[in-house]
Amino acid sequence: MTALASVPLRRIAAAIGDAAARWCDADFPPRVRATGSIVERTGYSIPAVEFALDALFGELRADALLETILRELGDMEALDAPGARAYPLGRIAILSSRTTIGVAIPAMCFALCAKNDVLIKDREDALVAAFARTLCEELESFTSALEIATWEGSREESRLHDVRLIVVFGNDATIARVTAEHAGQARTIGFGSRTSIGYLDATTQSKNALLDAALAGAARDASLYEGEGCMSLHALFFERSSACEPRELAIRFARAMESAATEFPVGERSAANRAAMLQARNLAAFRSAGGRGGAFCDDALTYLLLLDPSESEPPPFLPRTVAVLPVDSPEEIARYVERHALPIECLGVTGTPRSYTEIAERIGAARIAPLGEMQRPPLRAHHGGRPRITEYVRFLDIDGDRE
Amino acid sequence: MSREREAEALDERILATIEAWHHHNRPLSDAEFDDLALAIFAYQLRYDTAYAAYCAGYGLSLAALPSTWREIPPIPARAYKEAAIAAFPIERADLVFESSGTTLGEPSRHYIEDRRLYDAALLAGFERAMLGDGARLRYLLLVPNPAQRPHSSLGYMMGRVAALFGDGETGWYLDEDRLLVDAFIADARDACDRGQPICLAATAFSLLHLVEAFEERGITLQFPGGSRVMETGGFKGRARVVTREELYARASRAFALPIDRIVAEYGMSEICSQYYDRPGSEIRIADASHRIKYAPPWLRTRALDERERDCPPGTVGALAHVDLANRSSCLAVLTEDLGALVDGGIVLLGRESGAQLRGCSLDAEDLRRS
Repeated sequence: MTALASVPLRRIAAAIGDAAARWCDADFPPRVRATGSIVERTGYSIPAVEFALDALFGELRADALLETILRELGDMEALDAPGARAYPLGRIAILSSRTTIGVAIPAMCFALCAKNDVLIKDREDALVAAFARTLCEELESFTSALEIATWEGSREESRLHDVRLIVVFGNDATIARVTAEHAGQARTIGFGSRTSIGYLDATTQSKNALLDAALAGAARDASLYEGEGCMSLHALFFERSSACEPRELAIRFARAMESAATEFPVGERSAANRAAMLQARNLAAFRSAGGRGGAFCDDALTYLLLLDPSESEPPPFLPRTVAVLPVDSPEEIARYVERHALPIECLGVTGTPRSYTEIAERIGAARIAPLGEMQRPPLRAHHGGRPRITEYVRFLDIDGDRE
Repeated sequence: MSREREAEALDERILATIEAWHHHNRPLSDAEFDDLALAIFAYQLRYDTAYAAYCAGYGLSLAALPSTWREIPPIPARAYKEAAIAAFPIERADLVFESSGTTLGEPSRHYIEDRRLYDAALLAGFERAMLGDGARLRYLLLVPNPAQRPHSSLGYMMGRVAALFGDGETGWYLDEDRLLVDAFIADARDACDRGQPICLAATAFSLLHLVEAFEERGITLQFPGGSRVMETGGFKGRARVVTREELYARASRAFALPIDRIVAEYGMSEICSQYYDRPGSEIRIADASHRIKYAPPWLRTRALDERERDCPPGTVGALAHVDLANRSSCLAVLTEDLGALVDGGIVLLGRESGAQLRGCSLDAEDLRRS
């Protein structure tokens, strides 16, 4: 029996929503403290961290949780006795390693909604632990259901001996290691390395206001979290069009990147990143001297746009660095993604997202979003293409019951 | 003056510079380096259209030359993959070196018009750094064999060195990528039995494999006094790495050789000259201890920040080399290596690894491998 087994789902969701609402207040003391810790851990600027926390906790509303659960499980009573047909797995562990801000928190909330006991490995910024304290203030049962801990590297074996499921946010090597170490004892769900791309169609380019709005959105998607998130824009494809010459488009995108740097100042960068950006810029300048493409940036390399780089190379995956590639049709995007085996999380578009379903499916994207909204996934979005709550429950079907 | 005459005149000056240091320990003053570097740069602007077009982006041309070697634009090393970087007709190339494919895609190609420059630079550097005692050594080589990899600069280099300075019993122990452990052990034992000092030259990766083979078999050899190891880097692109300290310690045990007899060489196929470190020159940079690497006087290096300005000494930046022996290609090359300038030399911190992406969960290395 888990600690939350007898607590109604609506009570759990309400408590989570109430706790998140307190965290939406930028002056809430625990949030203020966490902001400083996150800035220290990630090197991101304060506005970027504030944006992340607003996006994270703004989505964690009771109605959004329940709506997502309803979509996945079919009815609100599925988890509540009497008549429950979905039961908690038991004890679940959530590990996050080298991730952006708070990625473990939505997973934790859905695991709690499924009435599991949850062990979370927290990061140095202790964001999860701080939010957990607020959760416990809203619902005492969370005190027994939640365990937040930090430990070094791979020393989780003893802590995980009784868990049924391990959710891992980390790089591919970490996921493989955890999976191998706990094979036979616990199932592993890995959220590995993914990236995001965007597309600008000719219609958008034909209208100045539309184009500038789209580029402003793309700049925001590329700049937030210094390009480190799986929803960060690393390649922007644009349909060849007489409406806007490629260089003109790049110049306007560069202006948008400069504006984004005002809204979200550049974070700390490693020497390796700085050197890699210099190398990428100079290579693009060399190609430009030979008549192909170009590099668009400011003197400080706050950002870097690589216009028409070689399609034989993947995006460089560097801070605020975007490959800007002309295509004749979305089909070319698919070929590029397939060629480089890019695991795509989000496809950013303009116009009607639904009209890009075919290409999104082709490239394996988990989500289509308007440019500018890529970094604001709704709670119901299937992170990594996976369900939000279904994997945290086990179903019990009884033959003979009426459907 | 024809291009050929210009090239010949420059080569004579460069060869004289190398010779003066190699055999007479004559340094090169800042003014002399500037003078020769700027003359080579002007020549390359005239005869290398790709480089000239690149320099135009810096506002430099034959009508607007830089005033110091530090203003010579370094060409990104990857440009060697995409274009023939040559200030001469490449069909006249005396040597062509290709990178070992440490990054994705095509290898880079370095066309060299006259091997005399390359030979002079490599032999001078090697002899001064590795053969200060004038020893005639047996060269046991775990580097690409020129018979199999004729475009490997490392294989060419060690072939020339062994031919000139060896005892006539040189052995090659890489068969493509396969390490010939048994043959190595047999030949090394022979040298040990005869008391013939050995020079073992190996990439870091090959050296690790060799040491592991020794460890697995439970054997050690007592390399004769005067023996040495030259490690040439080369963990790039390999999934399994160990620290240099660990590698040297294990090699030292396997060959009963003091660690100070292990020297690291640093070169790249896009330049003609090499750095060598010196045991005992350790310095702390970026929270770790590193040996200092020293260059011959015709090779100078800048550590650059993202604005392409010189980093202060001791500060880590992107390394850009200016190699006067690169007369026939491009004398200034921006590498993908990170390092810092320190007292009289450089500290090498390895290849830029790019973003430490956190993602949810996005890891740059994963994506680059995908």
